[in-house]
Amino acid sequence: MPELPKKKVGIIACSGEEIPEGTVTRLAALKVLESLRPRQTVTICLPLFLAGGEGDRAFARFYPTIAVDGCEKRCAARGTEMYSGKPAVSIVVGDSAPADSSALGSARQLSARGMQVVRDVAGQIARHVDRLLDLQWDRRSGFPLQPPEPQEELKPRQAACSCGSGIPVQTLQVAGREVTLVALPLIFTRFREAGKLPNDSTMTELMQTVRIYNPIPEEEETAYAQAIMQEYSAFHRRSQ
Amino acid sequence: MKEKVLIVPCSGIGKCYGTVARQAAYLVTQDLCPEETRLVPLALLVLGEDETCAAMSGAKGITIDGCKLACAAKVVAESGGVVAHGLQVLDVFRRHRDLKPSGIAELDENGHKLAQVLAQEVKGLVDAMTQEMSHA
Repeated sequence: MPELPKKKVGIIACSGEEIPEGTVTRLAALKVLESLRPRQTVTICLPLFLAGGEGDRAFARFYPTIAVDGCEKRCAARGTEMYSGKPAVSIVVGDSAPADSSALGSARQLSARGMQVVRDVAGQIARHVDRLLDLQWDRRSGFPLQPPEPQEELKPRQAACSCGSGIPVQTLQVAGREVTLVALPLIFTRFREAGKLPNDSTMTELMQTVRIYNPIPEEEETAYAQAIMQEYSAFHRRSQ
Repeated sequence: MKEKVLIVPCSGIGKCYGTVARQAAYLVTQDLCPEETRLVPLALLVLGEDETCAAMSGAKGITIDGCKLACAAKVVAESGGVVAHGLQVLDVFRRHRDLKPSGIAELDENGHKLAQVLAQEVKGLVDAMTQEMSHA
């Protein structure tokens, strides 16, 4: 059975090569991807939004995304929004760094102070990851628990890179206009293989799954449900 | 003002070859050819920042990509620049298989050596381009 990628948080660093803050974004993102939250995070290279395909551009519509920028130009946040989807969180290193950039060292080699800022920014990112994944909610009371300090894995993993993996998308007509839904082909296949017939109970479940990966405006929920169900019925017939 | 060769490394973050590209670009622009080259951050081109795109327009650049997706070469071309030489770290590695790099945040010794070999190749190209530009 094809598995839907588990819900993770996407981290996009600007990696700015000219300034030490750019190196901070890169190393902080890698610290989260490799050590702090390796199972919960994934990354993609920012330029791939421009150089890659539609599947790459679906990244920020598929994963809630944290953009990490070295300066106020906010290339990662703005570039992600322009080509993929609005990041859930935008962090600018300058907010946690000393005013004098040279205290961080150079873009090529960070100083001890620079490495401290890397740890601080990585901690910030990890806390946002927890919040976005609802990792620290008390389901009984409905109140968030105090998030723990980011824990470091003893054996770092390699950063999970999504470059070129391409998230499958499908375009539907919803209320007279084209809407692209990410992961829909995978969802349909999973439902078909689970033997789910196109009926009302499947529709509810289908909508719940589609909603995990796609924002569905409340006022258009019925139109989306109709379009998705129609498409699933056709898919089901074709695959019989 | 003397025309500089633009050096554009990819910002690959998921594989060590991206870090090799980045290190090679620093070696070229800071140690080997600081007067002849200028490092261009790819993120600014992705964003379409005016000043960087203006500097790129019609200018000749050397791109260094960490994987076959060749983001740096594609984005430079998209931004109106001319990719005089589009290098791939993997091609250099194929010629130096004893230098298998590892590490993304921190390259190992092989990674640094591979970056040095790559930087020397880029320097050769920069020298040739500089000579060509001075005769033009």
